[in-house]
Amino acid sequence: MNAPFSRQIIDTLKEKQVTFFTSVPCKLLANMITLLEQDTAVAYHPATREDEGLGMCAGASLAGKTTCILMQDSGLGTIINALAALVQFYQLPIVMLMSYRGSPGEPVPAQAPMGMLTPELLKLMQIPMLHCHEAKDLNEIASYVDFARVKQGPVVILLDFHLMAGDQ
Amino acid sequence: MKRYALLKTLVPVMRDSLVVCNIGIPSQELFAIEDRDNHFYMLGSMGLCTSIALGLSLNTTKKVIALEGDGSMLMNLSTLATIGNRGPNNLFAVIIDNGSYGSTGDQASYTSAATSLAGIARAAGCERVIECNGDAAAKHLEEALNEGQSTLIVAKVESGNEPVPVVPLHPVVLRERFRACVSH
Repeated sequence: MNAPFSRQIIDTLKEKQVTFFTSVPCKLLANMITLLEQDTAVAYHPATREDEGLGMCAGASLAGKTTCILMQDSGLGTIINALAALVQFYQLPIVMLMSYRGSPGEPVPAQAPMGMLTPELLKLMQIPMLHCHEAKDLNEIASYVDFARVKQGPVVILLDFHLMAGDQ
Repeated sequence: MKRYALLKTLVPVMRDSLVVCNIGIPSQELFAIEDRDNHFYMLGSMGLCTSIALGLSLNTTKKVIALEGDGSMLMNLSTLATIGNRGPNNLFAVIIDNGSYGSTGDQASYTSAATSLAGIARAAGCERVIECNGDAAAKHLEEALNEGQSTLIVAKVESGNEPVPVVPLHPVVLRERFRACVSH
């Protein structure tokens, strides 16, 4: 596994002192999950659902940690309430690393409906989003982690299907 | 015994721990009995109490207690699988099981009939699960805290609520005073 983009993303988050990770899996995130499983410098505990993962991140945040959840954008539909009434209400910085299923390249038709809604939902919820189309966009991730701490709330790193599908 | 009376017996046992309390009337009753900085009152996001406590317990050496309810536990059963596999020994949970959705008008929950939360927790991999009447819960919790072994207590009580006001504190105030307890 070379996966230079996956390595760059995880390295950037670690350099920015993100120390607690959870995930609900996705093929496009699989290399990052493998990296986290093998990494003894950070805590990584898989979640069963995206809202459980946000709860775990909130708890870690109460211990002063900056946290990250890896998930598909389709999971956004599961966590609107947890985002609004927990993460945003208590103003907790959380980095949400989302694979953008339902973007061009996606082979599964059922991913398209949530894919169409994801950017609008994030805008409606006033959640800052870094939409990564190509490799150079990944260089902005560090500043979004900083912004999560400044704004004291969630930020989303949205990773295009084509970008991550090619990262092997 | 109802939830309010059970909470009164738990408060003295929980003073040296970090407490994550379930949304709605449970938090309001706990606040009315004794408001403390080591209490994190959930004001929203029903179902996530034990998951918040899990994330906290994985990031502190202090003892963490989730004050959970049967309805909210039923909403997020799969977190029991995460606890069964990844829960650390400083995580404790008291599921106050009154077989009803107390904050929304005491509608019956499935634990009042065929469903056993203790059975589900055991099957999910939680090693130490105790089911007891509410009046024995404080003793079991105190023993578990002293032994330092992660324990999930399903405490059976009657349905019913105390007439108490909503928690009047701002969420960021709650966050900050709780964080100070975690870091001290």
